Amino acid sequence: MPFKLPPATKPVLRAQLSSRPANGHTAFIPQVRKLVFEYSEKWPSSSRTRTYLNNHLEELARTNPHVEVVVQQKNHREPIVRGFYLNGRDKVISLKEFEVTQIQQKVQLLLDSSGAKIKPLKRRIIESSTESARGIWSGLHVPELYKI
Amino acid sequence: MGYVHKRLASTAAKLAVSPSSARAFPPPDAISNPRAFDPETYAALQPPPASSLTALAHRLGLGRVLSPTEVQQACTHPSFVTLYQKHYPNEAKPATNGNLSTVGNSLLGLFASEYLNASYPHLPLRVLKAAVSAYVGAKTCASIATEIGATPLLRWHRTTATPLKPALLLPDALSSIPRSIVALVYQHRSLPITRQFVHDLFLSREVDLRAFIKFRDPKKALKETVAKFERERPVSRLLAETGRFSNSPVFVVGIYSGADQLGEGFGTSLKMAEFRAAEDSLHRLYLTRTPPEQLRLPSSTFSPSPSDLYTYKPPKGSKLEYVAGELGMEEIEYASGGRTGLVTPPSS
Repeated sequence: MPFKLPPATKPVLRAQLSSRPANGHTAFIPQVRKLVFEYSEKWPSSSRTRTYLNNHLEELARTNPHVEVVVQQKNHREPIVRGFYLNGRDKVISLKEFEVTQIQQKVQLLLDSSGAKIKPLKRRIIESSTESARGIWSGLHVPELYKI
Repeated sequence: MGYVHKRLASTAAKLAVSPSSARAFPPPDAISNPRAFDPETYAALQPPPASSLTALAHRLGLGRVLSPTEVQQACTHPSFVTLYQKHYPNEAKPATNGNLSTVGNSLLGLFASEYLNASYPHLPLRVLKAAVSAYVGAKTCASIATEIGATPLLRWHRTTATPLKPALLLPDALSSIPRSIVALVYQHRSLPITRQFVHDLFLSREVDLRAFIKFRDPKKALKETVAKFERERPVSRLLAETGRFSNSPVFVVGIYSGADQLGEGFGTSLKMAEFRAAEDSLHRLYLTRTPPEQLRLPSSTFSPSPSDLYTYKPPKGSKLEYVAGELGMEEIEYASGGRTGLVTPPSS
């Protein structure tokens, strides 16, 4: 009489299966989705921001069609640029008293960023989601067994 | 006051609504009947600005292929229509992605199955089906929709479970967006281009197929597989060891069929090392992968244009010519098919 054994491994439920992203392996999806410029109409700290918005913003929007560009007037406030990213975070940079070239640098910084939090470089441990290409060294797989 | 403004800004950013593109702002309902006005429902009913729709298209590299109206259609789930008609009964029904989602789903299944079958000819059928679900299933499509930034553009209406229909949740609605986009690419361009798009967006993602191939008794499964391939019976040999009788031994066992090594495994006990070696051998068989340059897909015989659908023949010797790959050895019966888990004790 046949009896049923319990499953040796957990059953694979197909509706719960998913894959991990590999952005950039073939196609690259830029991570910045929206840039919001806030400026004041009268205050002098926003004057170069206003110049930038009048002269350079349209070209920026044309060369970066994947980014929504929004301009908001916020009187009695310092000028800022806020970048929204696909991971749900946003980065805010104040443009108070910035020259036009400096504003361009900050905008380019936002466009190049991924939105991830800035991690300290010195305490980082190496993390990888894929196996190493050459394999990890093993003392048992050398011609002479490695003796500690 | 600052907190209220921040909440408002974050909600507005999530819903991708801008007052400049709304019909009449502030909405007359809010002024005439403020108690019955729900701002979240109002925000959910407004269309997203065209700039966000074109931005999504350009993010996917489809800026010249899709118009904003089509992107909006791809992001509108059929459940949205009831909500929309309840509040705007005199306006035309919004275009939804129900049909597009079905076509896209079929195309995804086609491309994923042919790619996986051609890449892994020896993969067992159940594992192949699981792999297809992992690459283009509902959960993956929902993650892709969030990763491309379509969540604030999605227009849908959550429905609870009724006796006739299951509940509609956010991942189900989100998964319709990438499928509809695939269908739109197929409509505007051709099958080969859609296949390239699917390979770039879906099939380049990481899935560990070893997690789907598990055995109750890999030694027994290996013995039967080796017999089927008509090779010498598998013999396990201890290749290296260290620390026997200590609290952290390491044994490395290799399984050989004659002079050929089938697999290698490590473990803290001899039995565990042999188990892993047998598993490794079976993985090396089932997960043999065709190199990408030798890959030939059946859908390459489809014509790039619909005019010569039945008469198209790809040029001889080109990469598009389809040469059928080798058929994998049929799977062993052990713990597979309809007799999963059933073991008949030996009759004495």
